[in-house]
Amino acid sequence: MSKRITVDPITRIEGHLRIDVEVDGGSVKNSWSSGQMFRGIEIMLKGRDPRDAWLFTQRFCGVCTTVHAIASVRAVENALKLEIPLNAQLIRNIIMAAHGLHDHIVHFYHLSALDWVDVVSALSADPAKTSALAESLSAWPRNSRREMEAVKAKLAAFVERGQLGIFANGYWGHPAMKLPPEVNLLAVAHYLQALEYQQKANKIVALLGGKTPNIQNLAVGGVANAINLDNQATLNMEKLFTIKDILDDVQTFVEQVYLVDVAAVGAMYADWTKYGSGVTNYLAAPEFPLDTAGTKFDIPGGTVFDGDLAGVKAITSFQDPYFRDNVSEAIAHSWYDGDWNKHPWEEDTVPKYSEWQDDGKYSWVKAPRFAGRVMQVGPLANMLVAFALGDELVKRYVGLTLDRVSAIAGARVGPAALHSTIGRHAARAVRAGVFAEVAKKHWGLLVENIGKGDTAIFNPPTFPSGEQRGFGFHEAPRGILSHWVVIQNGKIANYQAVVPSTWNAGPRDEKGQRGPYEASLIGNPIADVERPLEVLRTIHSFDPCLACAIHTLDPEGKELSRLRVL
Amino acid sequence: MEDVRAADGTRVAVLGLGNVLMGDDGLGPTVARRLLARCEFGPGVSVLDIGTPGLDLTPYILDLDALIVVDTVRADAPPGSVRLYRKAELLATPPQPRLSPHDPGLKEALLLLELDGNAPVEVLLVGVVPERSEMGTELSRPVGEAVARAEAQVLRELERLGVPAVPRVPPGDPDLWWASAPGSG
Repeated sequence: MSKRITVDPITRIEGHLRIDVEVDGGSVKNSWSSGQMFRGIEIMLKGRDPRDAWLFTQRFCGVCTTVHAIASVRAVENALKLEIPLNAQLIRNIIMAAHGLHDHIVHFYHLSALDWVDVVSALSADPAKTSALAESLSAWPRNSRREMEAVKAKLAAFVERGQLGIFANGYWGHPAMKLPPEVNLLAVAHYLQALEYQQKANKIVALLGGKTPNIQNLAVGGVANAINLDNQATLNMEKLFTIKDILDDVQTFVEQVYLVDVAAVGAMYADWTKYGSGVTNYLAAPEFPLDTAGTKFDIPGGTVFDGDLAGVKAITSFQDPYFRDNVSEAIAHSWYDGDWNKHPWEEDTVPKYSEWQDDGKYSWVKAPRFAGRVMQVGPLANMLVAFALGDELVKRYVGLTLDRVSAIAGARVGPAALHSTIGRHAARAVRAGVFAEVAKKHWGLLVENIGKGDTAIFNPPTFPSGEQRGFGFHEAPRGILSHWVVIQNGKIANYQAVVPSTWNAGPRDEKGQRGPYEASLIGNPIADVERPLEVLRTIHSFDPCLACAIHTLDPEGKELSRLRVL
Repeated sequence: MEDVRAADGTRVAVLGLGNVLMGDDGLGPTVARRLLARCEFGPGVSVLDIGTPGLDLTPYILDLDALIVVDTVRADAPPGSVRLYRKAELLATPPQPRLSPHDPGLKEALLLLELDGNAPVEVLLVGVVPERSEMGTELSRPVGEAVARAEAQVLRELERLGVPAVPRVPPGDPDLWWASAPGSG
């Protein structure tokens, strides 16, 4: 007999992401993904100056600040057919890569590692064996026995003080936890070390963007980073070399720790390469433009359908009609008035809440579609599309990672394993490796361009009368983000943001096609319906970010997350 | 994030948390920006409108002597009530299990740093009970009226910590850019 599980954390005034699954015979048979809060923040942009839009969009979400700022200025520049100076492009690129590095390190170590790592088990690890194991896998200097002993002592003291609550979302002792104590201890050590490196990556964003988390250096038409190599107050050689030094540090961590840990976890949870694939249509934006108009990119983007890498099709420029004309959003199962499937420029969102209906409306999230197809977005889509398009850098990191996983697992693991829950983690680590290389390359291009005497950073926008339409995309940490703007007589007439988590977390559409979260859960094993760790593993692998809106703290912690089993 | 210390090495951060596009949730950023406009702070004190960073809060509170957070809070009290919480109270109940990784991360950030041994020594949360946290760039009346009281609590705490702020004469205008109506800019 089937059981219904609802996971619905009420961590803010209103709930956000809610997942329902029906379990029968030990695995998931049906699923629903629902956003539990109306956002519609786009509405407040109407009538505003398009040059200010990025300041507002940056506040959509406190985690994805930079990405909404970038997509917004790109959308307005696209509407005006405005190119930006090469320096501006490169400075934005370094910020994006550094932001992505920060985000991916935090995601793996601080937000999702506990789905796989049993912290309590680490207490019974032998530090000497842990160190020996770690040193057999990596040249990282901070894997010594003393380091592991110190971490174990910290953990023991923490448990002693009764503070284990931070790991409350980890289900220690769960039958699906498979790592030996030594690997768990190693993961806790790197969990702590990762704090330093996510902070370093963030520092790069701050050095270029001004105070983080809300960067201040953007403008429609370029950036506001005055360049004068001899001036302390501007972007100068000293700052540039500080950035380079930090980048080197972060890259070492990614190469010697993050990529190694993900390979080890992947190899030890090889069964999870069989679960979680769901939707194998992939969409990714080309990113890191190399010219002023956005027609040449360092990492290619495009579409793959039905997992067929040979049939990949590229998105080739900021103006590409292949992307522009194929995006739509459907509301058949969303709490809006009507049952349409419209292009973002044409949307007129009218909220209309009803109760939850399994076969009717059950989410505030819309269902984005590309040429009518459901698409998975994110690091996996990004890496698979780039791999399929033959990008050398991506091929190198994918190859290195699969080789490492194969060596640890003692069996050959090929690219097909990437279409899975664990594959999304592997792709994110691969992408971090790629981002570090890209950031260093673009740093070099920036220094070289400035060396030629080019200090241009800004082309002023002018707004003609009449109507202009623009779109701006960005391959953000969670996948392709696009902003769509309609400008009339210099003011915003319509604005829509189609965000990565909408692509992935969206509900069914008018044809009944499940969204990627929903599809990825089908067939997942559930060992214990009271502790559905497997659901969390698959959902967390996407790095959901729907909690974009409000932030009321609950210091007294009376409300508990709802987990209902019917 | 900025590693600024007073001459004696003291480091204190005042962080205004919240989303300025969500009505009363803009309380924290409003208080932070008003403080910046109206006061001068000593070299070891940083004041920041930090938005809603979730667990990304961690690097901003690392190695502090004292942390003062201003945010809206859920509490059984009328809108506009100001509630104060210290570290021990914040850590008395465990953080909630999360589905999305970006829920408010104050408790988790503090606990993560407790484990690592570099959490702020002292923590004060100045909390204000919201009336409505939904789309909009204005504070409700009760929360608007609580801004000055929340500010006073921050200033009192800075004084207690031995790093008092000095009023600017005349006070500056806070940069509450989000509060302008469309078309007025």
